[in-house]
This record gives sequence, structure tokens and C-alpha cells, in this order.
Amino acid sequence: MSKDFDVVANYKSLLLNSPELSMPVAAIQSLVELIKHSNATTMSEFMLSINVASQLLKSSVRNSISLSAGCDLFLRFVTRNSQDVAEFETWKATLIVRGQSFVEKADACRYKIAELGVPFIKDGSTILIHAHSRVVSLLLQKAAENHKRFKVFVTESSQTRGGIRSAKMLRAAGIPTTIILDAAVGYVIDKVDMVLVGAEGVVENGGLINQIGSYQMAIVAKAANKPFYAVAESYKFVRLFPLNQYDLPTYNADTLSFQELNVDYDSKSDDAGFVTPSALSQTALHMKTSEDQGSQGSNPLVDYTPPNYITLLFTDLGVLTPSGVSDELIKLYL
Amino acid sequence: MSKNNELVDDLVAKLKRRQLVGSSAVAHATLKLLIVVISKNNWSTCNQLLNIVKSVGQRLVQANPTELAVGNIVRRVLHVIREEFREAESSAATNKNQSEFHAAPLTTSSSMYNLLGETSSIPDDNVQYPSSLRSNIIQEIREIKDELENIYDSIKNQASLQIHSNEIIMTIGRSKTVEEFLKMAAVKRKFQVLVAESAPSYSGQDMAVELSKAGIETTVIPDSAVFAVMSRVNKVILGTHAVLANGGLVAISGTHMMAAAAKHHSIPVVVCTGLYKLSPLYPYDEDSFNVTFNPDSVLGFEEGDLIEKVTVTNPYYDYVSPDFVNLFITNQGGHPPSYLYRLIVENYDPNDHTFDL
Repeated sequence: MSKDFDVVANYKSLLLNSPELSMPVAAIQSLVELIKHSNATTMSEFMLSINVASQLLKSSVRNSISLSAGCDLFLRFVTRNSQDVAEFETWKATLIVRGQSFVEKADACRYKIAELGVPFIKDGSTILIHAHSRVVSLLLQKAAENHKRFKVFVTESSQTRGGIRSAKMLRAAGIPTTIILDAAVGYVIDKVDMVLVGAEGVVENGGLINQIGSYQMAIVAKAANKPFYAVAESYKFVRLFPLNQYDLPTYNADTLSFQELNVDYDSKSDDAGFVTPSALSQTALHMKTSEDQGSQGSNPLVDYTPPNYITLLFTDLGVLTPSGVSDELIKLYL
Repeated sequence: MSKNNELVDDLVAKLKRRQLVGSSAVAHATLKLLIVVISKNNWSTCNQLLNIVKSVGQRLVQANPTELAVGNIVRRVLHVIREEFREAESSAATNKNQSEFHAAPLTTSSSMYNLLGETSSIPDDNVQYPSSLRSNIIQEIREIKDELENIYDSIKNQASLQIHSNEIIMTIGRSKTVEEFLKMAAVKRKFQVLVAESAPSYSGQDMAVELSKAGIETTVIPDSAVFAVMSRVNKVILGTHAVLANGGLVAISGTHMMAAAAKHHSIPVVVCTGLYKLSPLYPYDEDSFNVTFNPDSVLGFEEGDLIEKVTVTNPYYDYVSPDFVNLFITNQGGHPPSYLYRLIVENYDPNDHTFDL
């Protein structure tokens, strides 16, 4: 086994070096890297090393949903091809080639989704988006390039401040963008024509795992009868079947436990993760990376949106209804 | 690009002038034209033939974009062509190298697996196709034609499963499919039909005449009374102009109101439609497939003084969102709206949703 290669470190450095890379793609890339360094001589040793590595990767981050989607897809590919191996070394070489071509295709995925999604954006409409998602931003940028005129509300998303990042990107693309508080979704929904969110993972029943706040957004959208569209690359489809929020693999005993938090509620510091309107405008000016993860330890990072709240999913396999997702997963795993 | 331009021009003109309207009529005409185009043109490779059909299809679709059945038929034909070429290729490949190990199974549609798998091979232009290919393709297309001709039969055969004795059925507008469906049910069962008159075209009145001729107890009600009588109704059976990929309907105006009233009273809504009306397009916005007609029937020109002061519009279709529909009865059986994506995958190639060459 390749003891000298640290798959987790490789994964982390990949993400650090290219912020445009999404987690599942980085995961596959580091697994390919592992294969390159692998000196396994037998099939079972080789499979074991990949399995161990993907477990390591999954346990290395707090929010492993999309990462595990990538790992599972790659593992599935490896096991499915392992039956008709003529020569071990050549097979390893093809795996590496395929893995690398995947990284290129993954990028093309986003462009395909953007192309599919653009017709849904009406001229003169107002769109509500949540936090930061690369593929949603790309879709909106493409729509702007196609001379669609629309306005965007983006939730600030207090945990990661992703909304501020989105707003910067969209404004740079010439799209009028307003950052709203996460708590203001209900307030703006009447002015909104559609809701667009990205995804950490799309689960088997067509539901969605995404940054915290997506679920309540979907409920508000449903109540106001506004279409709620999810945008996701197909490599984010995961084989999970959550029935409620607490079925997610990210849930643990600490999540939302009733412990005394060591937080000074009176101080107006950003560190506690509270945003006052003044703090909001400050952060809008100079983006802050959140170094305050620790104080939010017991708060969940992602939530689950059941499929009945989702109007359509824009994926690189086409525009799908939530029930179409299980079909794609069955195609892969059967 | 293609020969037989007169024939194409003729159909394009008819579609443009709305001399040819109605999903069934345009579907038949499109199919007939495509059979001629495929049999009379010179082509030797898959891409050539696809391009010929696509260019004809593009012109037909642009002639009247609201007749979605035209595009659907073109897509069905394109799908058949791809399938036949694929079959011809794989049989040619197995003949050539029987001893070598088997080539990867041809991927029928894009899937997640393709992200890691081999890129699907682009049809090889050098493959020698069997001479029977042309007749095979024509044969397959004739099967679509047969399907179109037998649509009413296969739909109406399901009638006695859906309609029970002494039920009260409500419908709107005049749909040949619904008419056949109800007439077939009337052979075995006794039931009552309420037809909304469907102003301003009053096609519901024609429907009522046809139904009562067949001996069905029929009552015409004004459109405004739909909600009032809905509580007495057991089932709403609707026809449609087109079905969109998410299960939404493009149907005669008034349908949305009827479906909403039915939902309010939890009355099941059943839609009878041939598969050729199922389009892989999505309702990008609610008016994308609508047309407005001559407003004369809403407010006549005799009302000169009034006409100056008001704007009169006469939208012909309604968009009905899929949550209002409980069941689709197609020539392939009954399906819930959430299943339609599957039918689209089976009948159309994902590359053909738009006719870009």
C-alpha cells in the first residue's frame, strides 16, 4: 500500500490552489493521484487502498456530502470496470486517463447546465438565489451575456458569507444584485419570480442537500407559489435517502445540542456569527473569510429539501423533474 | 439542402397561414412529408440524414411554433433514424471482428457514468451500411404512422376502467380524444356528462351535440358555473393541445380554471392524450406556447364605441401546471405526471430537443 502518499493533504492543497474546483472533482482528482502513487500488486490490495482513501477523505471534512458523491462515483467506476481487467498495469493507466478526462468534463458540465438553464430566465424578472454556488453564478452570468435583463436577490448566508461572494461576481457581470439577510427571504418573496439554488448533493428521491437555509427558502417559495429550481452537476447525485433533516450523514450528537455556548451575546462582534445591518455593509465592502467556524460548531452546515418543494432540477443530463434523479442513479448502480 | 422543396414549402405555408391546425392534423402531415423527404433524398451517413430531417423540421417548427406536435414528430423520426443507424453499425462491427472481444455497449443516452466512461463514439462515416437501411428506416417510421392512426383506439379501450356507472363527468372544449373516450365508455356504462360551453369558441357546445348523438346524457353549462357544479362531479376528463415535459398542459383556455376548481374540491383530473402531443420542451414561462386569437368573438366590432375604450384580448390556450393533473391516459396506458420524463427518454433522443444543426 502507498503509505507515503497523503490523500487528504493532496485534496486540501488541490482545493486551496484552485478555488473554482468543486469538492467532488477535487476528490476524484486526489484519488487518481493516489492510483498514480499506488504500488499495489494485487487487485484486492488496490481496491482496499482506494476504499480506505475515500473513507479517509470523507472523514477529513465536516461536511462530506458532495465529497462523498465524487468518491462514490469514482469507486463505482473502478469496481464496475474491475471485472474485465486483462492486465493490471494497463488498467491502472486507463483509470488515470479516465480520471483526468473527468476533471475536464466536469468543467464542461457547468457550461452545459448554464446553457440549459438560460431559457428559464425571463426578461425583466427578479431571481432569488442562496449563498454562493459556482454553477448558479455561471448560469446567471451566461444569461446576462445573452442580454437577459434581470435582478438578483442573494441571501447573505451568515455562516459562510457566500452571498457576498456571489454578489461581487454578479455585479461584476453587470447584474443588479442586492444582498438580503437570511431572515428576509419571506419579506422579499413576493417580489421574486423564481428561486435558484445550487446543491451539495442531490439525493435518491430527487431531494436536495444544500447550504443551510435552502429548505426554508423552498418552503417559503412553495407557500408563495414561486418556482424553486435546483442547479446541480450530475456528479453530485448521491445514494442517500434521507427522510428528514436528522438522517443526513453530517448530523451528529453535537448538532444543535443544548449546551452552554461560550458566546457573549451582548458584544457586537462578528466572531459570534451575528450580523447587524452595519456589520453587513462592512462585510459587503471587504469580504471576510470566516475564521469563526469554531463558535458555530453546533450549528448544521447543510439542510435537506424534500423533492415535493423542488420544481425542476437543471443538470448536465438535462432538465429533470425530481423523480428523474432516481432513474439516473439506478442506471449507474444497477 | 433537401429536394422536395415544393412539398416542404407547401406545408410551411399551410402552417403559417393556419390552414392546418390541430395536433392530430399537423402530426399526420409532418410524418407524411418526412417519409417523402427520407425516401427521395440522397444520403449515405447518419449525420447527412439527420441534417436533412433537422433542416426540414426546423422550418416546419418555425412556421408555427405553437403547434408542438410538429416538433414532436420530427424528434420521433430523428430518434428512429439514430436507432436504426446504431443497429446497423453494431451489426457491421460484430461481422467485422467477431473474434475480437466485444465492443462496449453503445450508450443510448447521457448518464452520470459517461462522465468517467468513454466518450460515445461519433458515428463513423466510413461504415458500409446494408442496403436495407433505407427501407428499415421507412418501415420504422410507418410504424409511428400506424401508432398515430390507432391512437384513439388504444386510448378509448381504457375508458371502462376510468369511468364507472352513474358517475358525473365534467369536460371542456371539443377534443376528439375525449369524445371517443366517452363514447366508448357509454357502450358499457350509463353516466352523465357536463360540458362547459368554452366561450368564446363555444367548442364545448359542439362537443355536447356529438355526445348526446351517441346517447350520453349531456348538459351544457356556462363556463362561469364550473366551480358551482364541481362539488357534484366525480371526475374531470380533459383533452389537451400539448403536454410539456414537466407534465404541464397547453390546453384550451378555461382548462386552468376547471382544473383549479377540481383541485379545490379534490376531484381527480384525468387528461386523455396521444403520445405525439408529449413535448420534451419545458414551459419556460407561462405564455411561451400561447396564442391570442381574433378578439372579434369576445367583443364584436359592432360595439364600436366600446372597442375604442378597452383592450380586448382572446388568448386561445391556458397553461395548466402539473400539480393540477392526477393522471394521463395515453396510448401506452395511464401515467402520473411524474412519470412523463420516462416517456420522453424512451421516445426522443436528448440531442434532438432543439433542432440546432
